[in-house]
Amino acid sequence: MKKQILVALLLIVALLALSACTAVQPAGQTGAAAESGKLAQIKAAGRIVVGTSADYPPYESIDADGNFVGFDMDLIRAIGEKLGVEVEIQDMPFDSLIASVQEGKIDAVIAAMQATAERDEQVDFTIPYRMTRDAFAAAPGSGLVIEKPEDAAGKSIGAQTGTVQEGWIQRNLVETGLTPADMVFSYERADQAALDVANGRIQLLLMDAEPAMELAAQTGLEILLITELTAEGGKSIAIPDGATDLKAELDRIIQELLDDGTIQRIQEANGLP
Amino acid sequence: MDFFQDLATTFNFILQGLWVTIGVTLVALSVGFVFGVVMAMLRVYGNAFFRALAAAYSVIVRAVPVVVIIFILFFVIARFVNLSPFWAGSLALGFASGAYQSEIFRGAFQSVPPGQMTAARAIGMSRVQAIQSIILPQAVRLALPAWGNEATLVLKDSTLVFVVGVPEILRRAQQVSARTLEPFIAFGLALLLYLALTLLTTQVLQWLERRYRLQM
Repeated sequence: MKKQILVALLLIVALLALSACTAVQPAGQTGAAAESGKLAQIKAAGRIVVGTSADYPPYESIDADGNFVGFDMDLIRAIGEKLGVEVEIQDMPFDSLIASVQEGKIDAVIAAMQATAERDEQVDFTIPYRMTRDAFAAAPGSGLVIEKPEDAAGKSIGAQTGTVQEGWIQRNLVETGLTPADMVFSYERADQAALDVANGRIQLLLMDAEPAMELAAQTGLEILLITELTAEGGKSIAIPDGATDLKAELDRIIQELLDDGTIQRIQEANGLP
Repeated sequence: MDFFQDLATTFNFILQGLWVTIGVTLVALSVGFVFGVVMAMLRVYGNAFFRALAAAYSVIVRAVPVVVIIFILFFVIARFVNLSPFWAGSLALGFASGAYQSEIFRGAFQSVPPGQMTAARAIGMSRVQAIQSIILPQAVRLALPAWGNEATLVLKDSTLVFVVGVPEILRRAQQVSARTLEPFIAFGLALLLYLALTLLTTQVLQWLERRYRLQM
């Protein structure tokens, strides 16, 4: 029995040592060299692998034929065309995306993701390709009035796990004592949260404005307020930390697509204002 | 009519996840079988070091949620070998299942009467030969009922591989439900598929059990 425990401890130490080496690597010289050559790598491979979480229409979803559709998907294909590489899209849970790009399992993330300070520590972000607005939604006839974000205080409220909106609720409603922590609900997907609001299990939902309007149209939710006050910035593409050449190239392409009206056109084609 | 058309479209969409689920389950069960049998053998017949190693594997892996193992293996192991999410997820699930299977096979090895080993050695077989041709065939048969249970558990745990991006039945259902906002239909169909798979698995294993039952 003693021996078993000894071996178990040895294994754990070995595993930790292994993960320590690998964790150091990206910051070390080999990692930095590999990351700054990211653009060359992508061009050499002839394709860019992009992660998304395809349950967030109109930004990203999967149509009945299994194709990735939505604003982000059209945009990344337009970017791929400019890069001269094929775009391979990989569907993942939103929570797994940052880790996957950090570990090099995917080259970039496009998932209506905002460049927050916390995320910026883990990965790099391109310039924003679209500004963000959030919406507070409630069940029809709820009688709730939300004129500014803080009016949500003291109401049961839901948001998607790991999103900027969830972070805003924690910092501005929970930590300030306006809303008890047990009245905040975290959902794996936005559509689950919308259904819970529609069914009266929670009073409010805070999420990205456009998907909120789409959900509202389908479930009959009422949008009480659309605001930029809860947002932290625009939506950006996440790329590995230190991939400076890839960032420069993507920034250039995004600016070009913003300037020539392509992004505007793709937005309208996907029903985004 | 429209309703049935929608239902058929949704069903077709989710059905594409069926092969992924079956693939993940088969790979994971096979990998787990190899790990399980080898570890159980080491546990029962190995020297002190291998006994401890096998015990540590079983204890540690069973102490950790499967989804954590999948996540760790995908990101740690896949740094050295470039595995697709499907293979990384399936192998990780197999590695986890191996720990549970090793307990099943350990029990089976131990329930083969020890006199058989002594007898095999007495007629001049080596230990390896004895395990291979006397103990193992009986142990696998003895393990079948419990193994069938593990098979259905792995089938259901295959839903976990989506954390690394494998689009199996459950994720397909989520995708449909995000689009149509009819979770009842999407998850109802997923439920039917899992039910069908589980029933099929149990039937096949029961048949195997009857066919290979030991007359003791």
